[in-house]
Amino acid sequence: MRANFFANMKISRKLVAVFLATSVIAMGVNVFIYLNLNQALEKINSVFASNISLNELSDSLNKTHQGLTGFLETKGTDDFELFYASSLDIKNMSRKLNSNVTDNNIKLSERDIRNMLDTYLSLADQAVQAKRGRNIDEYTAKYNECTRIKDYLNTYIYSVNNDQFKTNSETYTALVNSLRYTEVMSVLIFAVASVMNVLLIIILTSTITRPLTRLSAKADEISQGSPENVAPLAVYSEDEVGKVTRAFNEMLASIKDYIARIRTQLITESEMKEKNLLMETHLKDAQLKYLQSQINPHFLFNTLNAGAQLAMMEGADRTVEYIRNMADFFRYNVKKSSETVKLSEEIELVDSYMYILNVRYAGEILFEKNIDESLLNVMVPSMIIQPLVENSIKYGIKDLEPGEGKVTLSVYREGNMCCIRVSDNGIGTDEEIIEKIMNHEKKPSETRGVGITNVMSRLDLYYNNKEVFEMKSRKNEGTHVTIKIPLEDTNV
Amino acid sequence: MKRIRVSKNRLAVTILAGIVLVLFFATIAGLIYYRDMIRRLGEVQEEAHAEYSRLYAYIADDPDSQLSNRIHKEISEYAKENNCYVEMTGLNLSTTYSKADRINIAISSKVDGIILEGDNSEETIELIKKATDAGIPVVTVLSDCEGSVRKSFIGLNQYTLGTEYGNALTEISTTNYPLSVLILKNGSSDDFIIQAIQKPLTGRFVSISSKEVDTSSQFTSEENIMKTLDELNKMPDVIICLNDKITESAIQCIVEKNLVGKTRILGYYDSETIRKAIEKGSVYASFTIDTKTLAMQSVNALNELNETGFTSDYSTVQVIKITRLNLADYSSEEDKNEG
Repeated sequence: MRANFFANMKISRKLVAVFLATSVIAMGVNVFIYLNLNQALEKINSVFASNISLNELSDSLNKTHQGLTGFLETKGTDDFELFYASSLDIKNMSRKLNSNVTDNNIKLSERDIRNMLDTYLSLADQAVQAKRGRNIDEYTAKYNECTRIKDYLNTYIYSVNNDQFKTNSETYTALVNSLRYTEVMSVLIFAVASVMNVLLIIILTSTITRPLTRLSAKADEISQGSPENVAPLAVYSEDEVGKVTRAFNEMLASIKDYIARIRTQLITESEMKEKNLLMETHLKDAQLKYLQSQINPHFLFNTLNAGAQLAMMEGADRTVEYIRNMADFFRYNVKKSSETVKLSEEIELVDSYMYILNVRYAGEILFEKNIDESLLNVMVPSMIIQPLVENSIKYGIKDLEPGEGKVTLSVYREGNMCCIRVSDNGIGTDEEIIEKIMNHEKKPSETRGVGITNVMSRLDLYYNNKEVFEMKSRKNEGTHVTIKIPLEDTNV
Repeated sequence: MKRIRVSKNRLAVTILAGIVLVLFFATIAGLIYYRDMIRRLGEVQEEAHAEYSRLYAYIADDPDSQLSNRIHKEISEYAKENNCYVEMTGLNLSTTYSKADRINIAISSKVDGIILEGDNSEETIELIKKATDAGIPVVTVLSDCEGSVRKSFIGLNQYTLGTEYGNALTEISTTNYPLSVLILKNGSSDDFIIQAIQKPLTGRFVSISSKEVDTSSQFTSEENIMKTLDELNKMPDVIICLNDKITESAIQCIVEKNLVGKTRILGYYDSETIRKAIEKGSVYASFTIDTKTLAMQSVNALNELNETGFTSDYSTVQVIKITRLNLADYSSEEDKNEG
């Protein structure tokens, strides 16, 4: 939980936290050692405090006695003040002395001193009172007693001072020696704490830098190529690195996606190019074929128009009709050869064609049309029906007796399809040939293939290889060619 | 491969974290130890000491005397058992104080009781009165202070001690006849003993003379005895010494004057020197007292005075005679301590 909390912190905060934590530890240890060392030094300083206070006590005692002597001699105010102030000092100081009976010599001497001071002060007070009462004998006796006790006290204080100095010196030496140990100890503790801090910094900063290292390793991996094979990084934290890692993963995913898309696009594009190229080739092929077979249709068309006018002037109506049909036929070829056209226009072309042929063959070819009129506006590639009709006549019924050959053009709806069927009752087509035609193996110059292959290829390209072309035949029962145009693909 | 590296990293981090944890605890432990160390620094100053409810002062004639020291030791031990402490006043001071000064110190330092080796001087009688006026009971030990207001005396019956000396002399006089005896006394208080010594010798030809030896200052006793012996025309057959310091000094003088075997000593106390002299034969016999009983009685007397205000006026302590024959039975204080 806390690790997660740390992991999710911002890097700047993490760094601040790391340095703050280590600094606090270092500072804490320092302060702790400093305070304790200070305490130890204070203890060392206080070692001789007892000597100092004893000396002060001795001074105050001597001052008190000086004051007492002066007062008893002259009754002077200054002396009394000195006596009074010093005796107050003594009272205060003696309170700090031990008052219990103990087997410690120094403590016991302290008790003796305390009691003797008490006795001294009360005797001194009595002496002062006696002086005020002018009782010379009494205050002299008290003063002598005071002097004696003062001497005892000085001896005691001196002795205790000596003893204490000896003990204090020993303590001082011991303390100074121990202080050396504590110095070594403090250095040790500080060293341990420093090592701990360094390790702490290493651990904590490594948690910050490790994801960065992994990220850079990943980036290296990608830069060495094939990012498709690079697995995304796991995200452990929600800090900046975590966010960068997440973004990196997203980037990696989109690079992969982009590469995949470019790849399919390239494939599609090359396919499209190929298709366009093929379409152009076929169109040119077909156009070439027309140019080859009907040399200069414009010239022919103009010539035919002249012929029609001539026939009209001569009153030959059938000739006029014939020539007009021929002219329509060629006009269509010239005009529509590279466009999509309405189905009605294609049928008109077939009508013209059939009229021409029937004039040529003296009405020997029967032509039947079954047209669903609702489909007349369906847009289809140009020049797809006429070649089929031409094929049927050329290879299907040409060997039949005159008047027996029949070509039927049917346009009907089959589901979502517009079907255009051209059938004949001719000799039929060998299955081998059908197969060859369907497999695009048939060369245009060979039998029954001049137009069909071209039509088929164009339909294939136009309708994207959908199965729109169908050819059926039986021996001596004619051939049926059907083009199925999907209605959604046409601009109706 | 990568997974292994990640787990290695994790292992390293775990180990580092472990070390950090150990170091953390080491630091904490170190700081606690450090704190304790600093605290213990102060404790060096404070010596362990026991506290007691009462303080008694023991004032000896001669604070350097072995007997007094032994008595002080015994008294101290017994007193501690009874929640009292006995201070040998004037000891461990930079100045050596007279007995009177020591009594004065004890009074002005307001002790709960004084155990005093008495004497018959006026000054001592005065001081006992002063102490009593200040509410401090005084008991005398070893020797009494007659005419004083002391509350109790615990010690040898001087008469009994003198008789013991006399009896010892009669043992010697049977073999060495006529007998000249020199008594080395400490002060006028010993005169009573001298009278008692003479009692068992009635009817025997024993000439007794006595000399006072000054033991008040450190080096005087031996010089005094030597001077006394030098002044004599004839060396005495027996020297009776009435205190431990005199006894030891006399032993040394006998050795120096080459009188071992000729002059015998009847001594006092059983210090190591005296015991050796008994063994060698230069001391015929030495008399001492039961210090343990003395200590017990003196402390009990003061405690009774403090608690009830009354105690018995007089308690005797048994005299012990040590000769070559019973030397082993009375092992010395030093032996006891060693044992």
